[in-house]
Amino acid sequence: MIDPDLISLAITLKLAAITTVILFVLGTPLAWWLARTDHVSRVLIEPLVALPIVLPPTVLGFYFLILFSPNNPIGQFWYSLTGHTLSFSFSGLVVGSVIYSLPFYVQPLQVAFESVKQEFLDAAATLGAGPLDRFFNIVAPMSRRGFVVAGTLAFAHTVGEFGIVLMIGGNIPDETRVLSIALYDHVESLQYDKAHLLAGGLLIFSFLLLFVVYYLNRRWQTDHTAAH
Amino acid sequence: MIALKAHISRPSGFTLDVDLEIKPNGITALYGPSGSGKSTILKLLAGLERGGKGDSIELTSEGTTWQNNNTFLPPEKREVGLVFQQQQLFPHLTVQGNLQFAQQRRHVNTGLDLEQINEWLDLSSLLEKKVDQLSGGEAQRVAIARVLLNGAKCILMDEPLGSIDNPSRSRILPYLDKLHKNLNIPMVYVSHSFEEITHLADYLYVLEKGRIKFEGPMIEMSSSLALNAGEGDLAATVIQCTVDNFDDEYGLTELDFEGTALFVNADNPKPGNRVRVRIPARDVSIVLQKPSDTSILNILAVDIVSFTDTQSPSVLVKLKHKQQFILARITRKSLDSLHLQPGQQVYAQIKSVALINDSVSQ
Repeated sequence: MIDPDLISLAITLKLAAITTVILFVLGTPLAWWLARTDHVSRVLIEPLVALPIVLPPTVLGFYFLILFSPNNPIGQFWYSLTGHTLSFSFSGLVVGSVIYSLPFYVQPLQVAFESVKQEFLDAAATLGAGPLDRFFNIVAPMSRRGFVVAGTLAFAHTVGEFGIVLMIGGNIPDETRVLSIALYDHVESLQYDKAHLLAGGLLIFSFLLLFVVYYLNRRWQTDHTAAH
Repeated sequence: MIALKAHISRPSGFTLDVDLEIKPNGITALYGPSGSGKSTILKLLAGLERGGKGDSIELTSEGTTWQNNNTFLPPEKREVGLVFQQQQLFPHLTVQGNLQFAQQRRHVNTGLDLEQINEWLDLSSLLEKKVDQLSGGEAQRVAIARVLLNGAKCILMDEPLGSIDNPSRSRILPYLDKLHKNLNIPMVYVSHSFEEITHLADYLYVLEKGRIKFEGPMIEMSSSLALNAGEGDLAATVIQCTVDNFDDEYGLTELDFEGTALFVNADNPKPGNRVRVRIPARDVSIVLQKPSDTSILNILAVDIVSFTDTQSPSVLVKLKHKQQFILARITRKSLDSLHLQPGQQVYAQIKSVALINDSVSQ
């Protein structure tokens, strides 16, 4: 029998990895659009993206719960497609995490994209590079720092989420019990030694991750300025 | 030939109202102070300016519409090269990487290869460098090379020497001369430096507040009183001469200026070459009789055409020698005391003559 905490660890990592990959695919174009557009809808989209930063996760979770319910058209559609409800499932957690971590991915990337000077894009265009060519060969390599920071924050933030999971995922072993929920369980049942292990582990993991990000950030920055 | 008619108004109050053509050969220069609309015109040509509501833009190249109210050909399809004033080389690539970027996306095969471009622009020592390690002048040379390797059908230069300090500027001008002489694709050169313009331009548009104030071939325009009146100490004429021979003993080159000999201190240019010579107006003085005992070598028989009507202490006098013109800047006091009149025959003493470049055949 595998230690249930190890299973929680696996679920957590899987959730964070899938969420980060989805954000990479969906969040990157969104960040690029936000960085370059002057369309009026931007004034609405930008605060919507940032909302999860200030909103209590339980509020998000509550609305997701209602949205996922088979009584709701979206929940119904999913049910007719898969035969399962989104609530209290791993897929539901992925959907919730993508929304919940969206600003942590989009915002640093948007800042990185905004710092790519228009002159470089203009130069690339007159040299014959079309929009996709410009994005992949000019914008992306010049924003590599932004990608690393955005990916790391999205991943770490998903690892640490609690409220939204509790609301839409519940506490199903082998399915939706992530590390933060397992920690809560241990404290509830006064198993402090196990709680210490998880809490300490998460603390060290988060610190190391941020340490590496800041270290890389600093080194690239000095690389950049030293060369000027 | 590229033709542009544009009427653009900005909320800031700036309006552009121009109708111009880019000549199929040589350098067309746009000259004027900042805010005169030069860069906007260049951006329109490159496809980096769309114009807003109520603006009318009509841009064609060889009869094909690039841009009007219904059409917009994106910059990557226009096959024009653009050299900016500011940093434009991709900082995440080396010099070589930047050149490869251009080569891989070449518009048309102009037959120019890296070897030839290298010879004109001296790049070999720069290829392995990072972009951030280049000086301003080096970076501009690489930017020009990148455009040439890209096979542009027309090259646009927006104040390419604008952010370069003076000594490097005079080092890079000869490179531009070389291109001017060797390339047979049209170039548009934007500058607010009259010196660069007299150096390089074949056809000149002078812009002011979004409108064309003067236009014409550079040689003609360089003797325009109206244009030079605003240049103060920098007023100068450009004339065309043919190289006659080189005098070894004195180290002087003899030029043929409409049948009259002009002596210039220059490095043995090829006899028969057409060259452009710049004569600052402040170095030309007027005498009524041909002086015999003088240290000044270059004395021309000229007719007075006209002079500026001014109350300031100095006046510009336009002088004609056969088919070409030069300007002299003298004091108003001299003008009055010599009783100089249009049509009068006088002599121009030229203190300094500077060879600009071997110009393209006109």
